[in-house]
Amino acid sequence: MKKILVSFSVALALVFSLLASGAMADSHTAKVRVVHASPDAPAVDVYVNGDLTLEEVPFKADSGYLEVPAGTHDVEVFASGTEYAAGEGVLQADLAVEAGKAYTVAAANLLESIEFVVVEDSMEVTEGQTKVRVGHLSPDAPAVDVGVIGGDAVFSGAEFPGITDYAELDAGTYDLEIRLPDGTQVLPLEGTELAADTVYSVFAVNTVDSLEVIALVDYEAAGSPDGMPTTGLGTPDQSQAIWLLLGGALVLIGASTLVWKKRFQQ
Amino acid sequence: MSGKNVFNNKLWVLLAIILLAGCQQPVEDEVSVRSENVGFTLDEPAAVNIQQPAPTENPINGLKRSGIQPTSLKIPALSLEAQVQHLGTTENGEMAVPDNIEDVSWFSPGYKPGENGRAVIAGHVDGVEGPAIFWDLSKLQLGDEVVVQDKDRTLKFKVHTMESVPLDLADISKVFGYTSSPELVLITCSGTYDFDRGTREERLIVYASLIEE
Repeated sequence: MKKILVSFSVALALVFSLLASGAMADSHTAKVRVVHASPDAPAVDVYVNGDLTLEEVPFKADSGYLEVPAGTHDVEVFASGTEYAAGEGVLQADLAVEAGKAYTVAAANLLESIEFVVVEDSMEVTEGQTKVRVGHLSPDAPAVDVGVIGGDAVFSGAEFPGITDYAELDAGTYDLEIRLPDGTQVLPLEGTELAADTVYSVFAVNTVDSLEVIALVDYEAAGSPDGMPTTGLGTPDQSQAIWLLLGGALVLIGASTLVWKKRFQQ
Repeated sequence: MSGKNVFNNKLWVLLAIILLAGCQQPVEDEVSVRSENVGFTLDEPAAVNIQQPAPTENPINGLKRSGIQPTSLKIPALSLEAQVQHLGTTENGEMAVPDNIEDVSWFSPGYKPGENGRAVIAGHVDGVEGPAIFWDLSKLQLGDEVVVQDKDRTLKFKVHTMESVPLDLADISKVFGYTSSPELVLITCSGTYDFDRGTREERLIVYASLIEE
């Protein structure tokens, strides 16, 4: 059950390698979600490619998934109400996103050393199962485990600013806790209902003395067709079109007959 | 004498070619004309979800929303009311649609209206005899309401985007995809009729978001 910790640098390398591998920008879109996880930072405005995209985002708020064109985007964060000036934000990154993928971009750490944590989100889950991962976004909290109270750890050794891989579990209700590796409970999460066909992210935020969690749904599975519906039973000027076709054919036959007749006569 | 005949024959062949060529051109009609310049999208910063302080409750619970299996659709701005059929896919994998022109269909294997994700409802734009239930869909405006109901609940959605997309460029995973809030998508045919494919070249897609009670 032990999951490898995906560190900030690995996550960033993953995202930026998409740019290096020449991810094609096409008409298709990626999904990006922004989370404010910096406990002492004010509410922020988020600009994407210079456009005000999110306004007055307070600590612990998230944007839900925004659809953005695949490609590289200039993402810049300002204290709410600050006038936009390119490159003057408290945080800036060129974020490369690939079509058909989803990403979480969290503003983490204390304001004086605020940083982006970028990670790719899952948009699939085995039918009937549930999927969950945890993020350690509490800047001064020690490494923690997340597991069943009195039982096994589901995630071990999560440390700031890391987001674990997903664990796929049977859907159901779990008595979970965040605890130190020695077993000391940090935060109880009893009666956690993890629904089937659903993917979750649970981020521990705030400073260690007031640790709390932000829970987000990354994906809920549902069916999709292979093609768009055929939603017109009629055809425009159908009779006229057929008349034109028949008329054209008749005229052509008639004309060629005349040509042949002429040739035989000569 | 013979010179005049040759000229006449050439004229007939030319006429025939023009007539036949005319048939290969897309035929404009009211649907294609109306869908030529449609499309808009709400241009304002996206709303953010603010986590409600609930120190005693488990924040992981209560994240999911429940939807409805809609039985009726109403669009007051178009004076439109329709019964909603529950359909899946056709044999070739396309989203199925009613075989009449007055009903619409909800893609029932997909998301339910009211749960997170895009619930999709389709209807015909025209039938053999003329206009069908979604004939006027292209007249929808930003902010118009779309209402779906089952026997217990009524959900109101507000139109935020309209686009007419070439069939080959339609992004199925987006139109039928997951979103972090409940959305309703309405689809009908648009563009010029493609006689080779036996359908119109584009689809009119209207996106609406749930108005929170």
